[in-house]
Amino acid sequence: MKEIILKTNNLTKKYKDFTALDQVSITVNKGDIYGLIGRNGAGKTTLMRIITTLTNKTSGEFELFQQKDDNLLEPKKRMGCLIEEPAFFPNLTCYENLKYYAIQKGIVDLSQIDESLKLVELSDAKRKKFKNLSLGMKQRLGIAFAILDNPDFIVLDEPINGLDPIGISNLRQTFKNLNEEKNITILISSHILSELYVIATKFCILESGHVVKELSKEQLDEECRKCIVIKTEDIENACTIIETDLHTTNYKVVDKTEIRLYDYLAQPDKVNKALIKKEIDVKSLYETGISLEDYFKTIVKEDEKHV
Amino acid sequence: MFNMIKADMYRILKGKGIYIAIILVLLLCFVSAIGMSAGYVGINTATTQTEEEVSLYEELNKAKSIQEYRTIMKENGSFALDKEVIGQNANLYYIFIILVVVVLCTDFSNKSVKNTLSSAISRKKYYLSKNILIFGLCTFIILFNNYFFYFLNLFMNGSSFSSSLYEITKITITQLPLLYGIISLQICIAFLVKKTATFNTITIPFLAITQLLVIGFTNLFKVNADWFYNYELQFALAKLTSSPSISFVMTCTILGLIYIVVFHLIAYTSIKRAEIK
Repeated sequence: MKEIILKTNNLTKKYKDFTALDQVSITVNKGDIYGLIGRNGAGKTTLMRIITTLTNKTSGEFELFQQKDDNLLEPKKRMGCLIEEPAFFPNLTCYENLKYYAIQKGIVDLSQIDESLKLVELSDAKRKKFKNLSLGMKQRLGIAFAILDNPDFIVLDEPINGLDPIGISNLRQTFKNLNEEKNITILISSHILSELYVIATKFCILESGHVVKELSKEQLDEECRKCIVIKTEDIENACTIIETDLHTTNYKVVDKTEIRLYDYLAQPDKVNKALIKKEIDVKSLYETGISLEDYFKTIVKEDEKHV
Repeated sequence: MFNMIKADMYRILKGKGIYIAIILVLLLCFVSAIGMSAGYVGINTATTQTEEEVSLYEELNKAKSIQEYRTIMKENGSFALDKEVIGQNANLYYIFIILVVVVLCTDFSNKSVKNTLSSAISRKKYYLSKNILIFGLCTFIILFNNYFFYFLNLFMNGSSFSSSLYEITKITITQLPLLYGIISLQICIAFLVKKTATFNTITIPFLAITQLLVIGFTNLFKVNADWFYNYELQFALAKLTSSPSISFVMTCTILGLIYIVVFHLIAYTSIKRAEIK
């Protein structure tokens, strides 16, 4: 069983009459790149701010490295974060800003500063003052700060905001390397769904402060994957025909009345003919599959209906 | 906590604020030593002047050079210039503003406080380390101001215008509770407003406005304002240099301690509950 890095249980944050976070329960396991998806005001930043203790929760609880939220001093030493926009001292250089935090964190080996700067490709700008950096460079310095003391868990709020396409691509690779080579668990939020999809291994869709859906990348792929949906009461025989007559096992039985077939996407008529020929009562047969954006919209809309 | 103080010292020494504060203290000391009188910032209440004082001021006004001015002062008789200057230590209030801004307000204004509090530094540790540093730096400024001026005055104006090192130390110690109280007030305001601009807007005119309001109020309603003149920072610090009674020293000490406790309670409660943005 994987080690649990972060576990929230009914975490709630209220500002007078406004509920920013409503009974949020999520689990981040070791090695996950956990993506938080949500519209503006969905509660992504609030959730991260509670975890990083910048904001107090109203109710609920959470555990960080299996330590309860009333005793987070030790677990926080294993966590790095970048919440909202990167904030540093404008008159200090990149190196000096990181050195300030290195001293604060008790880091003895100052070569870690250079290493962090190198990882985010800021080595050349290390002598540049923070106030003179571009937005993308500031963002990268924020990430360098988050990974400064080799944390086991990093929390990144919209880290790719303001980056150019090459910067995004490089950073994506940095996150993957940190995750794969250093086994760092990452909690990341972004508005750019396509980017989050490429990076994350687990997703949580937040809407109006509550969790709409928590799913793995495989499950998300499954939900979004193009396929032919066959609705029939005679699932068993339909499966036999798919395997014997259509010579494929690339299908999935979703429930008692639904099969999802991932082959023959260009020939749904051939599938239909094969089933009807063997007197299978096909209620409906149609092609489906959506983009991540469409999936997100659908999920949010469904949630709005329920609310 | 020690690491945090070390980090802040690293940052502060890279900036200009601390050097500006030291230069201002040096300037105040030199101006007072050369001019042989203590400058002050704030409201000066009218005091009755003796005929001798009036004629001295007239004579001083006629002086054509600083050397002539100093000669007139020296010929007029001896007095403890160092005690007079230390009596105007309310001036340091403005130097303390610089230090509180440098140590604390910039952290909130630049939002870099969130980097600190989101890592393994608790709000309690943060509060304590910032306070230790501010009090440390302010104490350094107070001691530097008092003792540097003592030796500078002794060197420039001679022993006729100086008191003993023991007396300076005694005055310094009796002034500390009130000065710490006023530093606590500034720290409290900084934690409450969390913005350099707002902090400056409140603290810079604070002393003068308080004095003006109380003087206006007491004049308007014909209230006896002796209590105010006795214990208002500027007046109390000056009074502590002129052989005060034990009861006055005790009252000032207690008042200073009350300021310290009350303002720190407010400030700590504020940072404990604050949303760090």
